[in-house]
Amino acid sequence: MKQLETQVNLLDQLFDIHIKTVNSLKDLDSLNIKYLGKNGQINQLFKKVPSQQKPILGPRINALKNKIIRILNDRKKLLQKTQDETSFDITIPGITSPLGHLHPISQAIKEIEDIFSKLGFIRRRYPEIDTDWYAAEGLNIPKSHPARDDQETFYVSDNLVLTAHTSNGQLHEMELMKNPPIRMINIGKTYRRQIDASHTPMFHQFEGLLVDQGVNISHLIGVSNYFVKNYFNSESKIRLRPHHFQFTEPSFEVDIVCSSCHGQGCRLCKAGWLELGGAGMVHPQVLKNGGINPQKYTGFAFGWGIERVIAIKHRINDIRYLYTTDLRILNQV
Amino acid sequence: MNIKIPYSLLKNYLKTRATPQKIAECLTLCGPSVDRIIKTKTDIVFDIEIITNRIDTASAFGLAREAVAILPQFGIQAELINNPYQLNGRVPKMTTKELPLKVQILDQSLVPRFTTIILNHLKVNPSPKNIQQLLLAAEIRPINNLVDITNYLTLSLGQPCHIFDYHKIKNHTLKLRASKKGETVTTLDHKTHSLPGNDIVIEDGSGRLVDLCGIMGGKNSEVDENTTAAILFVQTYNPLKIRQTSLATQERSLAAQICEKQPDPELVLPTLITGIKLLQQTAKAKVASPLIDIYPNPAKRKILTIPLAKIDQIAGINIPPKTTTAILKSLGFQPKIQNLKLTCSIPTWRLHDIAIAEDIIEEIIRIYGYFKLSDQFPSASIPKTDVDIKLYWEYQTKIILTHLGFTEIYHNSLISKSILEKSTLPLEHSIGLKNPLSQDYQYLRRSLIPSLLNTLSVNQGRLELPLKIFELSNIYLENFPQPEEKPILALATQGEDFLKTKGDLEALLHYLKISSLKFIPSKNNSTLFVKSKMAEIYSSKKYLGVIGEISSTVNHNFSLTNKVNLINLDFTTLSSLSNNNIKLTIPPVYPAIIESITIESKRPIGDLIQTIKQTHRYITFVHYSESYQNRHTFIVHFNHPQKNLTQKEINSIKQSILLIS
Repeated sequence: MKQLETQVNLLDQLFDIHIKTVNSLKDLDSLNIKYLGKNGQINQLFKKVPSQQKPILGPRINALKNKIIRILNDRKKLLQKTQDETSFDITIPGITSPLGHLHPISQAIKEIEDIFSKLGFIRRRYPEIDTDWYAAEGLNIPKSHPARDDQETFYVSDNLVLTAHTSNGQLHEMELMKNPPIRMINIGKTYRRQIDASHTPMFHQFEGLLVDQGVNISHLIGVSNYFVKNYFNSESKIRLRPHHFQFTEPSFEVDIVCSSCHGQGCRLCKAGWLELGGAGMVHPQVLKNGGINPQKYTGFAFGWGIERVIAIKHRINDIRYLYTTDLRILNQV
Repeated sequence: MNIKIPYSLLKNYLKTRATPQKIAECLTLCGPSVDRIIKTKTDIVFDIEIITNRIDTASAFGLAREAVAILPQFGIQAELINNPYQLNGRVPKMTTKELPLKVQILDQSLVPRFTTIILNHLKVNPSPKNIQQLLLAAEIRPINNLVDITNYLTLSLGQPCHIFDYHKIKNHTLKLRASKKGETVTTLDHKTHSLPGNDIVIEDGSGRLVDLCGIMGGKNSEVDENTTAAILFVQTYNPLKIRQTSLATQERSLAAQICEKQPDPELVLPTLITGIKLLQQTAKAKVASPLIDIYPNPAKRKILTIPLAKIDQIAGINIPPKTTTAILKSLGFQPKIQNLKLTCSIPTWRLHDIAIAEDIIEEIIRIYGYFKLSDQFPSASIPKTDVDIKLYWEYQTKIILTHLGFTEIYHNSLISKSILEKSTLPLEHSIGLKNPLSQDYQYLRRSLIPSLLNTLSVNQGRLELPLKIFELSNIYLENFPQPEEKPILALATQGEDFLKTKGDLEALLHYLKISSLKFIPSKNNSTLFVKSKMAEIYSSKKYLGVIGEISSTVNHNFSLTNKVNLINLDFTTLSSLSNNNIKLTIPPVYPAIIESITIESKRPIGDLIQTIKQTHRYITFVHYSESYQNRHTFIVHFNHPQKNLTQKEINSIKQSILLIS
């Protein structure tokens, strides 16, 4: 009995030493297991006590156990408090994953596709290298017509061109669909022999085509306004100016109100308006060329530049920046 | 084309109280666009865009004619004055035969109308101040009263005209004919042209060419300060021939740009008569010959009848018939409405522009004002058609790649020969342009790789490594009858561990749900890639593309100092295998037993992983851990869908794994 009592006292003293070495919650945890665990020191002591000595030694060990629990708990509270109060410089920059960037042209294409899809326009892509028929002749532009001047076309061969506009998609779509209704938004790469602040030899256009019964100019105005209000802002609106294209009759130049001066006129615009691009009612001959009966159906079409709408929206005055390969610029978008 | 019309010249033909600003605004909305209003010291100048089918508006008079139709729609009175067409009925008698001239037209199809007159006793001087100022305002350099009057006429009436020194025309003969190939003519701008043939020219009967018709006069017949007698002449020409010659000689003079667009032959005589009057006033000219006017097939008005209802059908609103007739009348179309039909007589200056009902309707609605039309949605009839799934996957792929840290680049489809050479890719079979803009844009790309390598090179040293870029674009392959446009996805990284780039590819394909990947070491002899670090990528048996590390040679050619990894994928195959319609598998409720197993083998790791996976169906996951020489360690998950596996069961599977060698 004496021996057991000494053991209890020793354990008591040992604990007092051990507790002083505890510096963390982790240390405290192992101390907890060491003394109070299933096979811990306290339980081992209890097991050693013969039943006749229990009335005397039992309370003594229990008292030690309670003391250990109390000290451990106190210590735990203290440690938790200190740990939560450890200083940390929250202003150190976080560790980021490498960031990739979607090109502004891809972003604009997606926005445009989504806006028109709500009006039931199906996105298409038609050839970038096409025959003269689809790119010109079938669009009512005969060979040696002065209208061909406007296009600054690249030739691959006498009969094959790099498309100077996405209007070749009009005839392709009519041939594919055979019967109206037709609602197409053809987005693709286009090419012209010119390079300056507002032209790059390769650029992108989106071509809308709607052919149905009873389609009129007011519908073109409605759809164009819907687009500019969704793509630019709700204040935006369009106007039509007379123009001429061989493949539309009547033909228009579509302007949008300048968002810098709200139509008052400023350095960036022409008397409050910015040119968006061409549009018109599909020429009856083009419908015929596409296999659609112009007596029964009418349609409108427009072809606008992706780079142009990005430049207007983000006020970029040199669209060649859109074709930069400088990652310091592209990583900003 | 754009022309500049001074306001004071416009006022010669237009009587209105509208300000120049108001005129510009109204014209822009309903007719020719006024791009700018330029204030000069002496005048206000309209910079006007002339659209190809409306050459009749390319003059002060033409603009005035538009304005008198347009301004009343804005409640502004406007009147056309000094209409030159009225001169057609009042040709003065000219019978004097003081100076002889022989005119021969060898091919009448070249020149629908030919008019000319000889003027004598000329005094060549600088033009009166007001004419000089007008020309300067229109950015035309004054020369002398003779030349200036021809320019003044073009600016006023839109009909080019020309003046020769009578005594420089050797035989007093004007022989108008098609040129022979190789004939030469020196034009007023001192350029000597060797003609392609079939150009409209005038020779003086001695074989000497004195005029490149409709484009520019000959240097040898030019009027100068000693000129005393001159031939003033005004013509219309076969527009296609003018255009061919103008393009072939690169002479895009104002005359050429007008003549190729078929000006009205009915305006020819008024221009000549006005010219005679002006030269009488400014150069003391005396008429010295009868007026010659060769015009075998006079232009005639055409009649066009259209259903009245069609106007509203196209406009989308109701335009009152009274308004319709008022508009057409103001444009000179002499409209009549009978039995719900509109009949118009098309004036001679619009014969080539107005052919179908829609042309007439455009005239009515534009003058009425597009801004008065309503804003409507078309009724909702949606086409029955399939969407292009490739376009859907394009966007998904791009988004995944940006999440994996790649930046998208748009390169030009047109590339140079030198960039191809740098990348050691062959030039042959590249589609070249017939008329490239420059050497930088000469060939259509057969591969995206050269552009990507170039971009990495350009960005080297600007940013911290790694650089990760991609492009998803078409390449262009020779094919018949049309070239093939094939979408390719190419990724390039610089300064990144090869296995990291490969891991990104695996992540992409994982997102696209493309499985059963195989990387087969390539046996091809490529100069582009490091031979030992190049593999063909397959999904089951479908070829997807290649992955590899760029060879030192190519790296050096592009001055790249860090290792570059490159992936080139056939996007058509990729999109056809991509799938977003997945069946979810519920994971087993019993936890997997995870063991680390080491195998000794000389086979590639990829093979070993496949083989381990195939050992037993309870192996759900195999992860490569590390290698020491031929000993490879894998982490293997064992899992039964319905129960806990016992150690005994696992040991028996492990035994078969350890047999792999």
